[in-house]
Amino acid sequence: MLEAADFTAFTLTLKLAGVSTLILLCLGTPLAWWLSQTRTRGKSVVEALIALPLVLPPTVLGFYLLLALSPTGPVGSTLNSLGLPSLAFSFSGLVLGSVIYSLPFVVQPLQTSFVAVGRRPLEVAATLGAGPLDRFLNIVLPMSKLGYLTAIVLGFAHTMGEFGVVLMIGGNIPGQTQVLSIAIYDHVEALEYSQAHWLAGLLLLFSFLVLLTVYTLNKRASFLSGAGP
Amino acid sequence: MIHVDLSLSRAEFSLKAQFELPGSGVTGIFGQSGGGKTTLLRAIAGLEPGAVGSLSVNGRCWQSESIFLPAENRHIGLVFQEPSLFSHLDVRANLVFGSDRGKDRKKNNKAPQAAVLEHICTTLELGSLLHRDPRSLSGGEQQRVAIGRALMASPVMLMMDEPLSALDHRARRTLMPFLEKTFQGLEIPVLYVSHSTEEVARLADHLVLMEEGRVTAFGSLGEVLGRVDSPLNEVDEAFSVFNCTVNNHDLPHLTSLISRGGEVLHIPRVDINTALPVRLRIRARDVSLCLQRPQQSSILNVLPAQIVDISEKIRQGSRSIKLNIGGETLLAKVSEYSVQLLELAPGQQVFAQIKSAALMT
Repeated sequence: MLEAADFTAFTLTLKLAGVSTLILLCLGTPLAWWLSQTRTRGKSVVEALIALPLVLPPTVLGFYLLLALSPTGPVGSTLNSLGLPSLAFSFSGLVLGSVIYSLPFVVQPLQTSFVAVGRRPLEVAATLGAGPLDRFLNIVLPMSKLGYLTAIVLGFAHTMGEFGVVLMIGGNIPGQTQVLSIAIYDHVEALEYSQAHWLAGLLLLFSFLVLLTVYTLNKRASFLSGAGP
Repeated sequence: MIHVDLSLSRAEFSLKAQFELPGSGVTGIFGQSGGGKTTLLRAIAGLEPGAVGSLSVNGRCWQSESIFLPAENRHIGLVFQEPSLFSHLDVRANLVFGSDRGKDRKKNNKAPQAAVLEHICTTLELGSLLHRDPRSLSGGEQQRVAIGRALMASPVMLMMDEPLSALDHRARRTLMPFLEKTFQGLEIPVLYVSHSTEEVARLADHLVLMEEGRVTAFGSLGEVLGRVDSPLNEVDEAFSVFNCTVNNHDLPHLTSLISRGGEVLHIPRVDINTALPVRLRIRARDVSLCLQRPQQSSILNVLPAQIVDISEKIRQGSRSIKLNIGGETLLAKVSEYSVQLLELAPGQQVFAQIKSAALMT
């Protein structure tokens, strides 16, 4: 059966996924909106950068993050000189890593659904007296409901399953940086197969339910096929 | 008054429009597809950020060198070719979207929203649709909601971009009377973009002609249509509009009409009984001239006329001739050969044979 440490890892993972998803939505919304509206050439560069975590091995991302966050790295030394604690091997560091790692899973469905709204409803709303913010809140957001659902679920689930980045920058501190995937790894290393089974099964079930929800609610088109909601 | 002096350059298209219109009535913006009508309308609506120049409507400046009022502050109602209803809102929420916005407008508009909504629902027969999902409506119904939504915002100007052209023939015929009803008694100016002579002949009081991004003529409907050098002659689209009233249905298979000048005209029987004025559209190519009244002719309508003007230009071997029939203007397209043979000249009394005339109902 599961030990207290496993539960701690479980709740820590949920907390990490929740916090990261919230931050991702706040960052992803303006970013996806800008990408859906802009016609500048720099757009492709930004899109490629955001999509990088899709193809890079997580360990590569984790390695660079570790270098950046270390006391001698650019981020770490800046934080140090400001008298702030280092982000490496901390929960905040994990959140930072997760946000970068899961960014494409939030930005892409949002961007697709913003593009799908089209210009016309916004033009109609403008002629009816709605300003830019009004148009975004009352036309774009409600018309992008499915896009947001996809973004939230994928962002959350992807963060939950993260391993390589965490391993590189988080270490394995119970209650602080030991997440589910690491705990499973530890159990296997220690030949505690029954506990590994429990945790792995839990994660498998959770992931399946999450994806099932997305595909059921988002019947019209899946983000993975690129058609958007 | 509406003052327009706008221009816009794109890679393969440029718009240059300069004209003035009275601040009320329906203005048809007429021209071939790709002539820039829609771009002009969008520029007036404030939806073309690239448009430069000046624009004022009934004393309010919408655009000048230093001012560009965004669309949301122009207080217009714009009906697009496609109904473009908000799919996440029901019909009622679509209708009140505009009237819920713009506080300054609410101050001017004393009538409570409910009363306005009821009036518009009656005019456009929307009462039974209020709680429907817009996607479940037919094309014609959707366009009626779109018109209602534009009117609900109490706009200072109503603009329509080919509101009938995305509909099938039947839906178009059903929607037309709604447009007429809407325009009747409307105090605000209406800009109506169309490439259909029928819609223009039926609905417009004023006309702006456009070709390749340029305004080629503008003025009252009769004035623009009556010009012998009208660009409409170039595309063989020239026509005249006769304002008539229905007289009787005494003759078999015929309906008789009386023009404003007192002339009696006959058209194939139409089941219509109204005391309101109706419009007849007569194409220039359906009008021919005789020096004497023909005694035995299959042509029903032969009216005494006086030649007012003859075009200098000969197009496809024909000249266009402007006639005065009891104060009304009629254009005829006559071959140059006949003009010379009959020695036609301004001032001359002739008879105009009208081969066909279409009642605009």
